[in-house]
Amino acid sequence: MHDRKIDLPTREMPRQWYNILADIPLNPPLKPDGSPVGPEDLAPVFPMNLIEQEMSPERWIDIPEPVMDVLSLWRPAPLLRARGLEKALGTPAKIYYKYEGGSPPGSHKPNTAVPQAYYNKVFGIERMTTETGAGQWGSALSFACSQFGLECKVYMVRISFDQKPYRKAMMQAWGGQCVPSPSEETQAGRNALEKDPQTPGSLGIAISEAIEAAVSDTSGKTRYSLGSVLNHVMLHQTIIGLEAQKQFAMIGETPDVIIGCAGGGSNFAGLAFPYVRDKINGQDIAIYPVEPAACPTLTQAPFVYDHGDTAGYTPLLPMHSLGHAFVPPPIHAGGLRYHGMAPTVSQLVHEGLIEPRSVRQTEAYEAGVLWARSEGFIPAPETTNALAQVVKEARQAKEEGQEKTIAVSFSGHGLLDLAAYDKYFEGELTDVCMLDEEMQASQEVFSEFPKPESLKSGK
Amino acid sequence: MFFDELEMRCPRLGGPVNFGYCRQPEKDAKPCFKILDCWWQRFDVAGHLAACLTREEFEALGHRRPPEKLTSLIDLIEQAQKNTGSL
Repeated sequence: MHDRKIDLPTREMPRQWYNILADIPLNPPLKPDGSPVGPEDLAPVFPMNLIEQEMSPERWIDIPEPVMDVLSLWRPAPLLRARGLEKALGTPAKIYYKYEGGSPPGSHKPNTAVPQAYYNKVFGIERMTTETGAGQWGSALSFACSQFGLECKVYMVRISFDQKPYRKAMMQAWGGQCVPSPSEETQAGRNALEKDPQTPGSLGIAISEAIEAAVSDTSGKTRYSLGSVLNHVMLHQTIIGLEAQKQFAMIGETPDVIIGCAGGGSNFAGLAFPYVRDKINGQDIAIYPVEPAACPTLTQAPFVYDHGDTAGYTPLLPMHSLGHAFVPPPIHAGGLRYHGMAPTVSQLVHEGLIEPRSVRQTEAYEAGVLWARSEGFIPAPETTNALAQVVKEARQAKEEGQEKTIAVSFSGHGLLDLAAYDKYFEGELTDVCMLDEEMQASQEVFSEFPKPESLKSGK
Repeated sequence: MFFDELEMRCPRLGGPVNFGYCRQPEKDAKPCFKILDCWWQRFDVAGHLAACLTREEFEALGHRRPPEKLTSLIDLIEQAQKNTGSL
């Protein structure tokens, strides 16, 4: 039997989080009027102990003992060798993954939900509010609040609330109160319902409701919580990478490539930030945040003469084009859009310390299914983005005959998201499903244009 | 509208939505900021939106970055304080 699992003893659990703000410059956040955000500006929604963390320049921040107690329910998370996937791919690469699906809600989210609940508790807060999309974050905060005796109110976007009723039950099981947003409980919700009583809601409305619920409590005992993007969230997640470093040290290895999915950035940051520190200190390591592909590849567009601009002023040029009316999303070259991304992650991209990668939707699900069949665990849909990049790296290693070591964060299991797999198996998820007539319509703009000759160098 | 019925997984919500949902006016009467990123693979969403939106709205969608999270939080706190009469 081969060793597949590298378990870190509980006593070896990291006792400090790593704060990357100590090692990278970051422009100060600004208020809408352009002046810098100060601690007092955030005080209506966050307890001051968390605000201090949000703005702290200290490199290492102690993890409080009561937080360690709760985290130890599932931490240290195992580092696993993906021998089944290696075999399936026939790669010489060694693939390791940090399994974050073992927490009570099944994802990495409690790594920050637990300390956030704790800091609110010691600040004297009695209830927390938040918003949630599909319910992953709402579940994590409900769990965390239950551990510290706090009330938890979750505004869940109506469309998801209707699609995933079991998430409400999950939150209720931990004592959380989950209401569909927009609700009648806040002015923001009532305004939205007045405009459209049948509205499916949006994250924007749900956030407004959660913040209003915190701000409107005149007792001062309610605060709001956010599960991604902010510095203190990234900080709490670094326990993933800090554990991984200890586990790799136990087997005398060092990863050459670090991979994580990058939605709001927190899961990626959790594994990657401690390794970014190593990279800053001279270690040769490639670090890839992975997002869904955000621009057409050449093969998906016809090779035609087209104008290079949308107005049609430039000369006709031979190019792969979806029509001169098509405007590719900006920042497409890197593949990673910065919208909604943690500022710290964006800054690392800007500095070239991490290199964004993108994968297509079907590549991601293919990798997810390959993973399930070779490693057993069914990954969450967002996790499959990172796994698709792992597969690419492993195949490249095979082509190049390289024995590189890859580490990936397996951010959560997909057992509560099987409907997405069902759509994949039913063939409802495709990368390009432009209907023939739509494709023809988009190409009609070329009907009067000369057709370029297909010239190839033969190299 | 034909496109409104097309469905995909929303990376923000973590569940299925149709295109009609993505172009629904948010609070600020703009489509979701990720609408181009998410839908380009399915149809000429940029061309479609360019035809539906004003030039300013369309350009803002493609080129303007949303405010940083903390900045938008400050804005939301102020709105909430106005809503509840505490400002």
